[in-house]
Amino acid sequence: MADFNVNVRGVGSVSVIDVKGYLDAHTAPQLENAFNQLIDGSKYKVVVNFNDLSYISSAGLGVFMAYVETMRENKGDIKFSNMQDGVYNIFDLLGFPMLYEFYKNENEAIEKFKESISK
Amino acid sequence: MNLFSPNIAKSRKLEYSIGFSILLFIFKILFSSSDSFLFHFANEFIVFFTLYFWLLYLVDFVHTKLRSPLQIVLNVGILSALFFFFVAMSTIIFDIKTFTPHQNFITSIFSLIISFICFIAAAYIFSVFRELFFLRQKRDPKTYFNTMIVFFVFLFFSNLLIKIDQEFDYPKNAFYIVALILISINSLRVAWIAFLTKRQKIYLLILSVVLSILFGFNFSFSLDDNILTKILVDLSPGFHSVLSLMMIYGTIYFGVIFFTTLFHLPTAEAFDRKAEEVTSFRDLTKLVTQVLDFKELANTITQVTTKVCNSDSAWLVVIDKEEYDLVSINNIGYVEADELSKKILESLNDETDSLITLNPDITEVPVKNDLQKFNFSWIVIAPLKIHEKQKGFLFAARQKDFPFDDDDKKAIEAFSDYASVAMENAMLIEESIEKERLEKELDVAREVQYKILPSETPKYKNVDISAMFIPAFEVGGDYYDFFELDDDHLGVVMADVSGKGISAAFIMAEVKGVFKSLSSVIFNPNDLLVKANAILSESLDSKNFVTAIYGVLNLKSGKFNFVRCGHTPLILISEGRAERFTPMGLGLGLDNSEKFSDTLKQMEIQLKNNDILTLYTDGIPESQNAHLEDFGYERFENILIENSDLSTDEISNKVMANLTTFSKDNIQNDDITLLIMKWFSNNKIVGEN
Repeated sequence: MADFNVNVRGVGSVSVIDVKGYLDAHTAPQLENAFNQLIDGSKYKVVVNFNDLSYISSAGLGVFMAYVETMRENKGDIKFSNMQDGVYNIFDLLGFPMLYEFYKNENEAIEKFKESISK
Repeated sequence: MNLFSPNIAKSRKLEYSIGFSILLFIFKILFSSSDSFLFHFANEFIVFFTLYFWLLYLVDFVHTKLRSPLQIVLNVGILSALFFFFVAMSTIIFDIKTFTPHQNFITSIFSLIISFICFIAAAYIFSVFRELFFLRQKRDPKTYFNTMIVFFVFLFFSNLLIKIDQEFDYPKNAFYIVALILISINSLRVAWIAFLTKRQKIYLLILSVVLSILFGFNFSFSLDDNILTKILVDLSPGFHSVLSLMMIYGTIYFGVIFFTTLFHLPTAEAFDRKAEEVTSFRDLTKLVTQVLDFKELANTITQVTTKVCNSDSAWLVVIDKEEYDLVSINNIGYVEADELSKKILESLNDETDSLITLNPDITEVPVKNDLQKFNFSWIVIAPLKIHEKQKGFLFAARQKDFPFDDDDKKAIEAFSDYASVAMENAMLIEESIEKERLEKELDVAREVQYKILPSETPKYKNVDISAMFIPAFEVGGDYYDFFELDDDHLGVVMADVSGKGISAAFIMAEVKGVFKSLSSVIFNPNDLLVKANAILSESLDSKNFVTAIYGVLNLKSGKFNFVRCGHTPLILISEGRAERFTPMGLGLGLDNSEKFSDTLKQMEIQLKNNDILTLYTDGIPESQNAHLEDFGYERFENILIENSDLSTDEISNKVMANLTTFSKDNIQNDDITLLIMKWFSNNKIVGEN
């Protein structure tokens, strides 16, 4: 199968995860590792940048569901940005937009976190 | 031709030997004092053949004992000592001057018994010489030895010439000298000594000097005038001169052995080590192919490393998930080895591509304080590699300030190579076991899936239903089912469990249970799904979810009431047009709050004659071709429209045929499930609600 890549960046107090390639049952553990490391470092404000993600399977979706509760319990969240249409449709069909925040670009998502702090 | 291997069975040889011995005995008793030439001639021949057959028998006998050459050398020593003591004792007991073998009957018998003992002893000693001569020879030096034997035979019979004429002794002397030269040459064949261990060499050194001296005395006795000489000369002058030659052979041969062993002694240790190395390599090769447990093999490897490379300790570290994992230790504590290897490997900064020799004093690896017990002066580290990737390290350490030489290093490197091979084997086996387990698991999952799915589709007059299911290699967890709620209502469900394999199959079984039981008590699709979400949210892992469409078809009116929970859109083909219905609804297990019920929207479709309802899983639109293009909705819908006149089974087949052609160069990643229902309202009363 095609490759998958995870990269974690820190933008201020927010962590940005760049996902790239194919996210399925075989590559999901890499993303899980990234989330585990963030939680170990007490970083609960996460933006996932989907700009380079071309495919996501149900197991890939499951990763976000597994971690979102921990983030929210710690006054953080998982927000999504830069999603291609094909990938967004999969999220949309499942009803994710009713449970998660989706943004056109990464900065909007980061701004949103900052707003919530200043509130 | 080999003189010593005529085709005679072993038991025969003994029979012949004893036969000739008896013949000789009778002959001697009958013609004890004849002096005719004919008598001498016959006498020498009988003696010769008696000797020959004894020799034949004993050569075979000695040959079986060759595994312990030192043992047969010791036996020769005992026989040689016997000669010595007999001569020494007899000189004291008997009066040599007056003794002749034919004094009386008793002395005759006594002489004969002594003679036979000498026969057998001589034959034995000669067999041993012969075997030692050929022992460990790479080339076949038969010619030298056989020539020597020929001259022994010549010498034996040349004594007859002297019987004819006392003056006629120069042939005997000539043969004697030639035989002596050949003996000297043959005595240099002592290659077998090299293969003895150091301890054996020391033993042989002492033994050989004693033997050489003993044989020397025996030789001088054979020239003296003593009882044994008298007996033997009387028995056969030929035998006597051959025996005396053998004594010279023994003196020279064991003398040569003494000096050779002496010169071999300094290198004996190195030779021992090499021999040990060869043996351990052979053992390891065997082990690598037989032992599947890497740890067991690692223990053997550290053991032989310590032994062969003259090191005090050895241990083996494996890199497992970027961590150093100590697998085996020899002569060092676990904690010490663990700490030491970590410290050393950290200080090396990944420059560990090839063999490394360390002197901790110089390189200042901080191993001193807490590891005083193991104050190593020299440490060699050999990397274990599989396909150019470092998988571990073999350590050998020495406490004495005495650096590892090139041979040691080469051996350590070789051992680390063995360890690499063994490790790779172990890994491959583990992989294949894992693969087999996975395949078994998937078989079980597929079986579960087939058992859960309905074996046949329900049949009605006004609705034609077709269901098709094609599992992926890694079972996907697709599920569909029908529930006959009452005479007029049919419940239909299609669901897709997230994830794959056995866990998906188990969730699928649970989903079936939930829908089967809820459908019998809750009629309204919306209410049913809210309840199903509550149940599944509790039992599912937070990362698992289920998408579903559940609908109830009124078999009289053709009304289809349904809800969609995160599932792919329902497709309706009506009057040559396709319409996708995607009413709001979260996937089951995504959210356990009010949000689920608040957002869930129920929908009603009024079916018209020849309308086609299509339920399916994402395996269809997400099927990909070799260019990683999706099959997509439009392609799917167009096939449905084009074939809408056909029966549902035929439409199903068309969809599958197109899908197979489209994705023929790519593997099927997900289960494919397709449920098609075609409505016929002509047969029924229309309009009533």
